[in-house]
Amino acid sequence: MSNVTKVLIANRGEIAVRIIRACRELGIPTVAVYSEADRNAMHVRNADEAYLIGAPPARESYLKIDTIIDAAKKSGADAIHPGYGFLAEREDFAQACADSGITFIGPKPSSIAAMGDKAVARATVTKAGVPIVPGTEGEGGLSDEEIIAVAPQIGFPLLIKATAGGGGKGMREVFNPEDLPNALASARREAESAFGDGNVYLEKLVTGARHIEIQIMADSQGNVIYLGERECSIQRRHQKLLEEAPSPFVDDDEDLRKRMGDVACKAAAAVGYINAGTIEFLVDKEKNFYFLEMNTRLQVEHPVTELVTGMDIVKEQIRIARGRKLSREQHEIKLNGWAIECRVNAEDPYNNFMPSTGTVSASILPSGPGVRVDTCVYSGYTIPRYYDSMISKVICWGETRGEAILRMRRALEEYKIVGVKTNIPFHQNLLDSHRFMAGQFDTRFLEERFHIGEESPKHPDIAAILATLVAHHQTQHAAQIVQRGARDTSNWKWVGRYERMHR
Amino acid sequence: MKYLTTIGDKTYTIEINDDQQVIVDGVPYPVDLEAVSGQPLYSLLINNQSFEAFVDQGDEGWRVLLRGDLYDVKVEDERAVRLAKSAGAAVAQSGDFHLKSPMPGLIVAITVSEGQAVKKGDILVILESMKMQNELKSPRDGTISRLKAKGGDTVEQNQILLTVSG
Repeated sequence: MSNVTKVLIANRGEIAVRIIRACRELGIPTVAVYSEADRNAMHVRNADEAYLIGAPPARESYLKIDTIIDAAKKSGADAIHPGYGFLAEREDFAQACADSGITFIGPKPSSIAAMGDKAVARATVTKAGVPIVPGTEGEGGLSDEEIIAVAPQIGFPLLIKATAGGGGKGMREVFNPEDLPNALASARREAESAFGDGNVYLEKLVTGARHIEIQIMADSQGNVIYLGERECSIQRRHQKLLEEAPSPFVDDDEDLRKRMGDVACKAAAAVGYINAGTIEFLVDKEKNFYFLEMNTRLQVEHPVTELVTGMDIVKEQIRIARGRKLSREQHEIKLNGWAIECRVNAEDPYNNFMPSTGTVSASILPSGPGVRVDTCVYSGYTIPRYYDSMISKVICWGETRGEAILRMRRALEEYKIVGVKTNIPFHQNLLDSHRFMAGQFDTRFLEERFHIGEESPKHPDIAAILATLVAHHQTQHAAQIVQRGARDTSNWKWVGRYERMHR
Repeated sequence: MKYLTTIGDKTYTIEINDDQQVIVDGVPYPVDLEAVSGQPLYSLLINNQSFEAFVDQGDEGWRVLLRGDLYDVKVEDERAVRLAKSAGAAVAQSGDFHLKSPMPGLIVAITVSEGQAVKKGDILVILESMKMQNELKSPRDGTISRLKAKGGDTVEQNQILLTVSG
């Protein structure tokens, strides 16, 4: 069927690097696109070719369909992988690829449209017999007045979500009717700036719920399989921070896993889905599950599924795009061990998770058994302020959940990123919390029952000595400027010189 | 040199006379401190035990990030503390709070106007950076005495956006 002989990656960051790696392993040449802010980005360095597509703001580069299609034509790329975010769930982009005779490594435009408009998605899956959470369905872009009118029928608390959304952007929780107008305004503003579409809809907020999703793969010959579930309840402001596969809630309940998997496959089949996709469910304490949405793309957290199933999802995506049959059948999917992913964001966990930009002066990666790092950051790299704050993903595999947690703790202690603040200490605190270890958490856990720095720190004496030594060294260093050459060469002096040199 | 080093409500007396030893509350420990490739990341060997930590100087003392825990540390020269004590009580801190941009970004909106009274926790500025909108809040009660930025402005890190007078 269609050929995939050269792939353009319409994305940036770690996911562009991830896709280039898959292509390299398959022997397929790669084409990167980049904005003026990304000349030094890793994906530009790793790709075989790279094309400048515009100014730093995403709207003027990574969201420009025509420019990206032009780059594909100019480079002779016959396929485009959209990654996640940006144009990944834009039906018009998939259509533009098709119109130019370029293979879109993802679903058909009609499937993206059906699942992308969440109102249509809910109607479609309801028809296929999949349960959903109450909300404003089938009504498309409602005005503020219409939304305020319909809100009491759904009931508070409720959620405002961006129609074009994902990743928590343009999402707001509303607990009282009087807060609704302000929340609507800020949600629309954020949605407009993130997706270029300010439309929003309402959904009932299910409390005490877990967020569990099913990875599915579908080929063009009508085969659909599921690769087990991912637990994604650890979220802050509706942004996932840590994911695991399998879910400690599903654990060894094979019946629940199979029922969710079957429903997921049914939902995918209802829109004639092809390629990799994810069905997100809310699961309540009684193990009832509700369809939340379908992500018609590769997910950030796909590596945990790769580690427990042994399937390379990106390579499988390319195989599917080439028109070939899935490499495995359902009965060949066996979950092996446990995997956890921590998303490393450039933000300060001790200052309300404020984004931290700047230059990474050193990056010491964790390694060793069972550790995988997907990142776009290297020593000397300046993190641009125009894009997402996620700079790295650490994924650990263990035979059991316990081993995976211990391995992740070990890996995070090894990981040193200097120059920008990261949320690594947040993850370290989380992995130490008893509730997390016991697997007892829901989507509200982080916001309501977890605080960084709650456990009493273990080494105050060492911290005191460290601070005093460094402070002392600085005083000495200041003194040295006056009495240059007056003392013996000590380690600290050497350090001082070294630091001055790098200032 | 003798230092008084405080973490929370505990104060250590730490004496440093050479590179190889510290005396903590009268007990000597052999130490070896190295900066890791010239970074604010330090490797400390103390009694042959190995630790690695980030040590930064902030506005209000030192911050040590060690094994996933953050410590706010105050390091004072013991002589200076004695001098200050004999000089009497410190001057009470009041006056102006300058709200600085914590990162480069775009001002989405300034939600207050000059002369407006604000309470601690009130939202002053909405700043967009890395695709997220961040609310900058007032750290105390006061009056907005000066606005130095407006909606739509692109601002640099540490740029003063407005002033709250107490």
